[in-house]
Order: sequence, then structure tokens, then C-alpha cells
Amino acid sequence: MIEILQQIVNGVAIGGVYVLIALGLTTVFGILGIAHFAHGSVSMFGGYLTFFLVTSWGFPLLLAILVALIVGFVLGMLIELLAYRPVRNANHINAFIVALGLTMMVEGLNLQFFGHEQVVIPTNLSRVFDIGGVTIPELRLYVIIAAALLIIAMTLFVEKTKTGQAIRAVAENRDAAILMGVNVKTIPLVVFAISTALGVCAGVMVGSLFAIAPGIGEWLVVKGFAVLILGGLGSIPGAIVGGLVLGVTEALAAGFISSAYKDVIAFVVMIAVLLLRPQGLMGKA
Amino acid sequence: MLQINDLKVAYGPIDVVHGISLTVNAGECVALIGANGAGKSSTLKAICGLVPVKGGSITFEGRDITNLSGHAVVQAGITMCPEGRQVFPQMSTVKNLRMGAYMRRDAEQEADLERMMDMFPILRDRAHQAAGTLSGGEQEMLAIARALMARPKLCIFDEPSLGLAPKIVAEVAATIARIKAMGKTILLVEQNSLMALRLADRAYLFEAGEIVLSGTGEELQSHPEVVKAYLGH
Repeated sequence: MIEILQQIVNGVAIGGVYVLIALGLTTVFGILGIAHFAHGSVSMFGGYLTFFLVTSWGFPLLLAILVALIVGFVLGMLIELLAYRPVRNANHINAFIVALGLTMMVEGLNLQFFGHEQVVIPTNLSRVFDIGGVTIPELRLYVIIAAALLIIAMTLFVEKTKTGQAIRAVAENRDAAILMGVNVKTIPLVVFAISTALGVCAGVMVGSLFAIAPGIGEWLVVKGFAVLILGGLGSIPGAIVGGLVLGVTEALAAGFISSAYKDVIAFVVMIAVLLLRPQGLMGKA
Repeated sequence: MLQINDLKVAYGPIDVVHGISLTVNAGECVALIGANGAGKSSTLKAICGLVPVKGGSITFEGRDITNLSGHAVVQAGITMCPEGRQVFPQMSTVKNLRMGAYMRRDAEQEADLERMMDMFPILRDRAHQAAGTLSGGEQEMLAIARALMARPKLCIFDEPSLGLAPKIVAEVAATIARIKAMGKTILLVEQNSLMALRLADRAYLFEAGEIVLSGTGEELQSHPEVVKAYLGH
């Protein structure tokens, strides 16, 4: 029993990271219908930047994260304006190609700026808590708390603010949203800014829990899209449930079967879910 | 209040509106009638900034709003209740109504929400239901209430009776009459010509992208051409 709880706690931490990535992907997909493949690499850029600010410029960790968040905000808006907006009214395949090109560009820039060495963001959080036999490293606990707060904040933003409701409205019916007075040119900017900032948070979490290296961004974006399909495309509750299910499934598979097969098992579970619910866990049929 | 001068609308190479002119005065209910594809809805979409204007001008309260973007038209005080209702299907009734007040910043939005639910009691019953699960008639009421939530100066209705049961059509007509009695200025597009002409102070008849006839609602109701082609009796 304790061991199952232990693996669930481990799974929730990585699941939280998946949720943050998937929230960005799902809102972008919802309003623009774009599969934003570069999201993982951009998130890793945020992780790299935080690492760089802490180790090279001696920034305190929280300040470095704050700076990376602001850079993420601006970067997100630039991506929308410069990469996706020009192909907004073109054939869908164009946005697809732009997304692939952008992924290669950002990966290349990461390599150019930060090198090919694997880096870990230093945190000095080395205590380990023991809660009823379940051990939680301090860092992992903070990651879970931070992810939970961000997920709650994002949900409240979408449900309780006018801008958040406008994002939903554009996703559900773009023309009707225009008739309500929604400026459909600024909404994608807001969505990309927030999505990228959430991605940066995920990048920092990956960089401090595990490590950042070339290729990690692609791994993360594949997981993100798996969560989207598992939870239901464009659905915010789907991203939350899907991310946690994927994270916990992987942790249980690694803990009780084999860590070498955890991805395989996670994807088998995903396929099984989709056979029963092709629209995803929270998707509308 | 609204003045359209020599308006031309085209979808790519295909012209659909060939230079029409019309006027809506404050407090009036003006109907646009005509067959499917005559250019009525395209005219409305051009007013609301949903399709680009190819030629001519649209003036609202003395201000040129030709080719203004959609949200700026709403800001100017024009709200459209679109054809096919176009509610936000996964959002609740209440959230749909709140979206109607999206560009308002005043403190009376919640009071207006209550007023709408008093005016349409069925919306109160369905308050927290996803709008997509409402019946066609209920969705039409929601779309009308949502449009009123913007407190528009000019309220445009695009085919409000389309696809509804006869009993509900009568209800929609009564609702529009009530909105008119509230002093709202209304521009109504309807294929149900009899309903439109009964509601309207004045009306314009569209044929193949042009206005071929105009007059008061009563005049058009008894005009031989209208009777023969559109009222069918």
C-alpha cells in the first residue's frame, strides 16, 4: 500500500509537469487549431535560461524563474505574431510546417546558446520529508505545490475573468465571439503568452527535477500531445486529468513492472482508453 | 441612425450585393426580406465587420464604420443575433449571457442578467446547463437575450425564426415586438416575410443583391408583387 502511494506521489510530480505543458498546447489548439510542436523546445529554453541566470549571473533561483517567465510571456507573443499569424488564413498544412520549422529553430538556438551538455538547475533543496512512510524529497513537494497552484490559477483565469471566457468563446465559436465584441487579434497573443509562461515553468521543473539536454523538448511535447489526446483535444479539464493519469501510470509502471517499459505501458494504457473513449477522457463526443 | 450607401459585398470574385442603400432611423424596426441568397445576410455581415466591404459606405450615428473590425462595431453599439443562434455550446446559459456583456465595464451587468432571466424564464430554469443541450427555441431565446446583454443601440436579428417550430416562431415574433416596445432600434432579416412585415415599421425587398422595393410594413404586405412571390396567398 505504502509503495503504491509512494509511486503515485512520484507520478503526480511528473504528471504536474505534463499538465502544465498540455494546458499550453490545448489552449493554443483550442483557439487556433494549431499543433504547436515547438512548445517543448520553447519550454526547455525557459529551463536553460533559468539555469544560465542562476549559474552564470548568480541570480537567486526565484528571481531567475521570474525573469524567465517574463521572457516566456514576450517570446510567446512573438511566436504568435511572427510565426503563426502570417499563416492564420492559409491552408492548415502551412501552420503545421511552420510549427516543425520553429521546433528546429528553437532547438538550434538552444544548442547555440547553451551548448549540448546536460544541465541541472541547482536548487539546494535537499531535505526529504516522510509523511506516514511515504518519502517526498523537498524539491518534488515544491514542484507538486507549484504545479497545483499554477493549474488552479489557470482554471480560475479561464473560468472567472472576461479574457478567460473570451478564450473559451473563441475556441467554441469564433464568429459568435466577434459578435460579442471579442478582439480576435489580441486573444491569440494572450493565449501564446500564457501558454509559453506555463511552458517555462514546466521547463524549470524538468530542469531541477531531472535535467535539460538537447532532445528533452521533443520528448516533452510528445508527452504533451499524448496528454491532449488522452484528455480530449482543446479541453482544459482534459489536460489536467490526462496529465495526471499519464504521470501516475508511468510511475506505477516504472515502480512495479520496469522503468525501461514505462513509456510503452503508458502508451498502451492510452490506446486502451481511446478504444473505449475515442474522444478522450473529458472530450465531447 | 444607420445609413448604408451604395454598399457592395463580394466573396472572392463573386459579387453578392450590388450597391444597395438603406436607412434605419432611431427607434424604428426595419425588415429586410427576400429569397434565400438575395444578399440580406451578406449585408448584415458587412455591417458587423464579418465580411469585407467592397464598395460604398456604412455610417452609424454619423460615424463611418465601413470595414471596421467586428469588435469595434460592437463597441460602437451594434449587436447581431446571428443566424443559426450560434450559442457557445459547452458554456452554461449564464456564461453565454455574460459573454454578451463582454465589452461592458459598468456595474449593472449582473442586474441585467437577472432582467434577462425575468424576461425569459426558461433561461433561469436552464441557467447552469450547457447551452448546446438546450432546444432550438431555447437557444434562440438565449441568443436574443445574449445580444441584449450588450445594451446595443441597434439590435440586428438574422433569420431568428429559421428552423423553429411554428409555435416557437410566434414566440420569437412576440419577443421581437417586446424589444421594439422597449424602444430599441431593430434591423431584422427574415425569410418568414409575413412575420417580418407585421413587425416592421418599414421594409426593403431584396432580389439578387439589389433592393427592388421599399415601403412601410403595411404597404409591402399589400403590394401585389410581394403578395404573389413571398406571402403566397
